[in-house]
Formats: sequence, structure tokens, C-alpha cells
Amino acid sequence: MLRIVPKNTNIDFMGKRYIWVAISTIAVLGSILLVFTKGLNYGIDFTGGAEVQLAFQNSVSVGELRELMDQGGFKSTRIQRLGGDTSKEFLVKFQGEESDLQQVGSRVSAALSAKIAPTSFEVLRVDVVGPQAGGELRKSGFLSMFYALLCILIYVAIRFDVRYAPGAVVALFHDSIITIGIFVLLQKEFSLQIVAAILAVIGYSNNDTIIVYDRIRETLRNYPGRPLLENVNRSINETLSRTILTSVSTLMVVVALMLFGGGVIADFAFTMFVGMLVGTYSSIFVASTVVVLMTEFQEKRARLGKGLSGKPLSKPV
Amino acid sequence: MTRNWWMKLALLVVVAVGSAIYVAPTALNVNPETTKLFYKKKVNLGLDLQGGVYMVLGVDFKKIYSDVVSRLAENVQDDLKEKNIACSLPQNLETKASDDPTFKVTCTSADAKKAFYALVKESHDTLRFTYDEGLIYELGISKLYRDNVREKTISQSIEVIRNRIDEFGVAEPVIASQGTDRLTVELPGIKDVERAKELIGRTAKLEFKIVNDGMSPDEVAAMVSELEAKNGASYKEGAKFSDYVKQINELAKGKLPTNSEIAFEREEGLTAGMGGRVPYVLHSKVEVTGDDLKDAFIQVDSQTNSPEVALRFNAKGAQSFEQVTGENIGKRLAIVLDGIVHSAPVIQGRIGGGEARVTLGQGDYNQKLNEAKDLSIVLRAGALPAQLEFLEQRVVGPSLGADSIKKGAYAGVMGCLAIFIFMLLYYRMSGLIADFSLVLNVLIVMAVLIALDATLTLPGIAGIALTVGIAVDSNVVIYERIREELALGKDPRVAVNMGFDKAFTTILDANVTNAFAAAVLMNYGTGPVKGFAVTLLIGILATLFTAVFACKMIFEWYLNRFEVKELSI
Repeated sequence: MLRIVPKNTNIDFMGKRYIWVAISTIAVLGSILLVFTKGLNYGIDFTGGAEVQLAFQNSVSVGELRELMDQGGFKSTRIQRLGGDTSKEFLVKFQGEESDLQQVGSRVSAALSAKIAPTSFEVLRVDVVGPQAGGELRKSGFLSMFYALLCILIYVAIRFDVRYAPGAVVALFHDSIITIGIFVLLQKEFSLQIVAAILAVIGYSNNDTIIVYDRIRETLRNYPGRPLLENVNRSINETLSRTILTSVSTLMVVVALMLFGGGVIADFAFTMFVGMLVGTYSSIFVASTVVVLMTEFQEKRARLGKGLSGKPLSKPV
Repeated sequence: MTRNWWMKLALLVVVAVGSAIYVAPTALNVNPETTKLFYKKKVNLGLDLQGGVYMVLGVDFKKIYSDVVSRLAENVQDDLKEKNIACSLPQNLETKASDDPTFKVTCTSADAKKAFYALVKESHDTLRFTYDEGLIYELGISKLYRDNVREKTISQSIEVIRNRIDEFGVAEPVIASQGTDRLTVELPGIKDVERAKELIGRTAKLEFKIVNDGMSPDEVAAMVSELEAKNGASYKEGAKFSDYVKQINELAKGKLPTNSEIAFEREEGLTAGMGGRVPYVLHSKVEVTGDDLKDAFIQVDSQTNSPEVALRFNAKGAQSFEQVTGENIGKRLAIVLDGIVHSAPVIQGRIGGGEARVTLGQGDYNQKLNEAKDLSIVLRAGALPAQLEFLEQRVVGPSLGADSIKKGAYAGVMGCLAIFIFMLLYYRMSGLIADFSLVLNVLIVMAVLIALDATLTLPGIAGIALTVGIAVDSNVVIYERIREELALGKDPRVAVNMGFDKAFTTILDANVTNAFAAAVLMNYGTGPVKGFAVTLLIGILATLFTAVFACKMIFEWYLNRFEVKELSI
């Protein structure tokens, strides 16, 4: 029998819980700081503007392309080579008034035709998003993230116990913030597709968390007398091989998409790759830690006679 | 094997075979027209995969509301005059474009004000009072009427855009409303966005022409059929309709009365006769144009209680309309929008005063109401061109789309293959069962996508990849459980049963929360987010079926058939 995690592994995850709290807190705060200082590199989906993807038959340098764009009367263009250094595909981004950008596709073709034969380049894609639409897309993107989190919170609270719900949501919040933080760090472009990818990460990480929770619930039921920390530790250890196996197998798909998918898919897969690594970490180290902390807090309150807002977790749920 | 097991097998076979039938045309990439396969439809590819134009248009409702308020104010003014109520409106009834435009009414006495209030309550339910002080009232559009105008404008715009896109010759255009003031237009396979925009953005051309009664409708139809048959000039779906009309007119030269032309009425769903086309011979002269039509709306005749369409012309239009109707009593007046005949009512008598009514033919109240709605939409399309604003446009070239499919499919296959091998190595025999359930899973997801007529997009492919991830997870959860039970020294049969039972709640909880998230995305998300959510949601349901139901069934068979003493897991 092949095993990734040796039999009867017993790592004391919860004993070091304050270390995990510290690491996660620093990562989350760092990400938030990055978002506010460096800022997200919003794509045109959110800011409005235009984007044209071009393919050439012969190699062209960014400088040449910029010159042609300048001559074509475009201001503030950003030119980016797609793929490796020898790639003949480019992404040209335009900022500007909406009305200026309406004919951007044909204007770019005209500008290029000044020097390059129309048969040896192709306009692969043109996206124009008005500023108003951009604002709305941004709003609906973030709203959908918010509502997804809210639904998960309510479901976990009903299905498990109120004490589990915050952990699940903290973990998801943690995952999405850190993924966004890494996006800011790398200054990768944040588009609608990336919002979808982060939502996928939320779904995936939540899946992980629920499976650990499920085991904690079961262990608490079966061994009511044992200390809480031991029960939680045992649950995490028991599900460890599953957590790692699933992450590894799903990461295989994601890595394949990242390497071979090209363009939009590659970015999407990159986001999922980062998010799943963070998500796997959070379902082991963050979600359970919050459950333990919540329970300790409640039991302390109960001992101090300040009222009981829930049953102590060391008893079966 | 028990009877119960056979039932399960039957279900599994039905699902698998059914899915295979749906997926076959797509997988084999057959030509839907020539294939002998039982099911012919292929998966719809999103614009990002097949190339095409996607546009979001905004309708400028501020302008429309102010036009409506000006019209309503005019009606009020007429009524005040007629009923001798001593209240007055400002000289200029034009209102500024705004979300809720209003106009002021100033009365000379409290009695007049009371009479005015009664008048509005009684016969102007399209208005509401927004302000009341001293002898002054301010009025705006009532909420009900506002919604009505909004709805009508949107459906009118969709109608107009659809007509014009038919001009473009697009195979399967999708025109839909989005939210309250948006339209989305998808034109697969079209690359020339400027031309598409030009076509969509221009104002509709509404014309009134007299039907030439020198030829009876049957004669006209017979002539057109003959021309078609002789010259092979039939109209094909996806071709430009105006080219066809031009061709027919070319061919009919010499056979038509002088200064006449052939135009068609098109009825969707009507296949009898000319394939949904009814030919007319019209006098070429344009009698009145849409520019002279101020408004068109539905009203109900108080005597016959049947819906009809009322027209209102400006001064110039009123004059020409009176002349035309006076000279052509008994003839039919064709209402032509962008070259297509929409209706040809008979002129009953001379119509003066700039106001006309089109009464409708047979049918009950609802049929007439629908007909009136359609006609008023057509007329208003000429009268009040909605201001369309291009908010978003995305063009994907066909080569990029093809490239995306190739890369996406390749990456997906590579990823799945890696998982298959991994599962086989790690779980051996049981891994093989898991692999089978994964293949079935992807098959079901694709089949449901095709059956629901959903669209496969790039994020959709990513959604399927994630589904594979989730499905593998379900298998892993179950197998790890079975291993735990086996480690406790249980018999393989018991271990398998307990493993599935214990893992079930876990899998259910995990999938239900994910399904919640996916459902939220489907409702709030737009574009790529939605495409992703749809496949994910289908994938979650398929996972529950394959990982829990199908796998367990195969395990039962495997354990019984080979009388397994030691499970290969």
C-alpha cells in the first residue's frame, strides 16, 4: 500500500497554534498593506479602456511597435510581449476617453499598415470597456465574492456549529486576501477571469476545510472525554494524507493548465495554483486553529460566569 | 448480485449511454447536416473559443423619459383646453434629460387646482404628482408607466437590432437584455466590429407605402415562387435578406407594374408558403416617413373593447397623411421598417388631424393586444430611436479562438492524464475504478452542457478541470476512509461499506457548500464568472453521482465477482 503520509503520524499542529496565527496575521496584513500601497493592477475589465492583441509573422520589437502606435496618434499605450522573448504576439493597452477608443481596432490596423504589410499581421482580439461598465463589473465581481462567503458562513453555521463558521470564513478570507496580495506583489493583471479564479479557490479551500471540520466533529463525538487539543490534532493528522493527496492531484491539473493553457487560461491557473497552496495551508493551520481559539475563548467566558453563548466544545457536538 | 444492484446498473448504463449520445457529435466533430448520428447538436462554443463580436449596449433612458414627459404634458395641455380648466403649462414643454423629468402646472385658483387634480386622477394614470405647493403642481411619470416605457423600449431595441443583424448575415446571433437598461449582443464568427456597430447604431428607417392592388396577393406569391424556381434564387438562413430582396426585384423587372417594387413581410415560425415570407407589391413612392411620426402607442377602443394602435404625426406628417389616406381609400397602407413590411392595414377613410388609429383584424383580446404591441414597437422604432451607447465591446479573432480551444483542450487532457496515472499508481485496482468514474464525470458534465444548450467558454474549461479536482477529492476521501477501516482489521466488504457510509456526509457537506458558492456566482457574476459557475455547478452534481453512486456499485460487483480477500487499494 503506497502511502504519502506514514501510518500513525502524530504531529502536534495545535500546540504551535500561536505560530500559525502569527504567520497568517503577518501574511494577511502584508497583503492588505500591499493592496493599499502598491495597489491592484486592474485590467481594463475594471478600469475601462481598450486592449488589442496582435500577432505578427515576422519578429517585431516593442520599440518598433511603440513607434508605430505613437505615429498612429495613440497616447499612453502600454505594450507587452505575450509569451517568451521570441514570441510574435503582443498585447497593446490604451487608456483614454471612451469615444476615442471606439474604433481602436481599425485605427491600430491603420497605424500598423504604415510600415507592415496588412497580410503579415493579424488583430487577434479587441476589447473595449467603457469606464461606466468597468465600474459595474468591478462591483459585481466583488459582490459575488462577498455573497459566496456569506452563503458558506451560514451553511457551515447551520450544518456544524456556530463555533466552526468563523474559522471557515476566516480561512477563506485569508486565502483570497493572500492570493490578491501575491497578485499585487507580482503586479499581475487583475481581470474578471481572475475574480472567477479566486472564487474557485474559495470553493476549493472551503472543500478542504469542511473535510477537516467533519473529522473534528466526528472525533469529538467519539472521544468526548479527551482534551480538545488532542482531538483536533488527531483529526488533522488523520485527514492529512487525504488533504495532501487531493492537493497534489488537483495541482497536477492546475499546473498542466498553467504550462499548456496559454493566455487567459494560464493566468487563471496561476491564480488557482497560488490559491490552492494557500488554501491547503489554511485548512490545516488556520481553520482548525480558529475553532480551538473560539472554544477556548468561550470556555474562559463560561468559567468566569459571564454567560454561555454555546456548549463547550470538549463535549460532543 | 441482488435485484437492487441490477437496478443501479441499469441506471448507470442509461446515464452513461445517454451522455455518450449527447457528446458523440462534439467528440467526433461531425457535420450536423450530414451525420447519421441519432443526436446531432454540438456544444455551443463561447465567443472566446470560436471568435466573434460581443457588445454591451446601454440605452439612454434619460432622453427617452424626457421625450415621454413632453408628450404627456402635451396631452394634459390639450385636455385642459378641452375641459376649460384654468391651469396652464409652461410655453416650452421640452424637459431636460433626467432620470425623473417633471413639468409644472400653474393654476389660477384653488378650484381650478382641484379640478385639475381630479382630471389627472381620472384620465392620466400615466402621471404622478411629485410636488404640490400653493397653486402649483409638479408632475412626473408614474411608476407603472415608467416600467412600461422601459420594458417597451428594451423590447423595441432588441427588435430593431435583430432586424439589422439579419442584414449582417450572422448564423446564430444572441440579443438579450441585461439588467434594466442594458442589451448584450453576441455575433459569433463576425470580425468586423466597426461595421456591426455602424449597422446597430444607426436609426431605424420607417416608411409608409401604398400597396399596389394591380396584382392580387396570390398572383404576387405565384410570381415570386416562379422567379425563385427559375433562377434558383431562394433565401438561405444566415444570408443577407436585403440581397435576396434586391435579387428578386432585379428578376421581376418588366413583370411588375411601373414604379413598383416587391417587399416582404416576415413571420417567424411560419413555414407554409414562402418559408415565412409574404411578398407584397408596393408603390415605390414613400408617402410618409418615420421622421414625421411623433409617437405610437396602444389604446383600447372604449366601444368595442379591443386593443388598437394610435399614431400621432407632427404637422408635416399630419398633412401628408391626410392627403394619402384621402386619395387611397380602400387600398392598403404598408408599414415598412428597414425595408421589411410589418403590417398593411386597409385605409378606411380620410384621416385628418394628425392622429390615426390602426385597428386590428381577427383574434381574441390577447391576440390583438400582442399584435398591437408588436406594431407599436415597430412604429416607435421609427418614431423614437432609442439612444444606444456602446459600453463594452470584445472581438476575438477566429484564429485566437481556435488556438484557445487547442491549448485549453490539450492542457485539460494532460492534467486529467496525470491524475489518472497518479490514482492508478497510488490506489491500483481501486484507482482504476476511480479513473472510470472520472471519465464518466467529465462525460456527464459535457452531456449536460450540450443538453442544456449552455455555452462552453474558456473559464468553463477551467470549471471542468476544477470538477475533476473535486471528483478526485471525493474518491480520495472515500478511499482513505476504507484504508482506515481496513487498518482496523475489518473484512474488505465491511470496510468498503463503512468507508462509503462515513465518507458520504463529508462529501455531501463539501459539495453543498461549493454548490452554494457556484449558485451565487451564477446569479451575480457576468460573462466569464458565469460560464465558470455553470460548469462547476453541473460538475458538483455529476461528482455526487459518479464518486458516490457509480463507484460504490462497481466496488460491490468487484468484491462479489472476485471474492476479494485482500482489497487492492
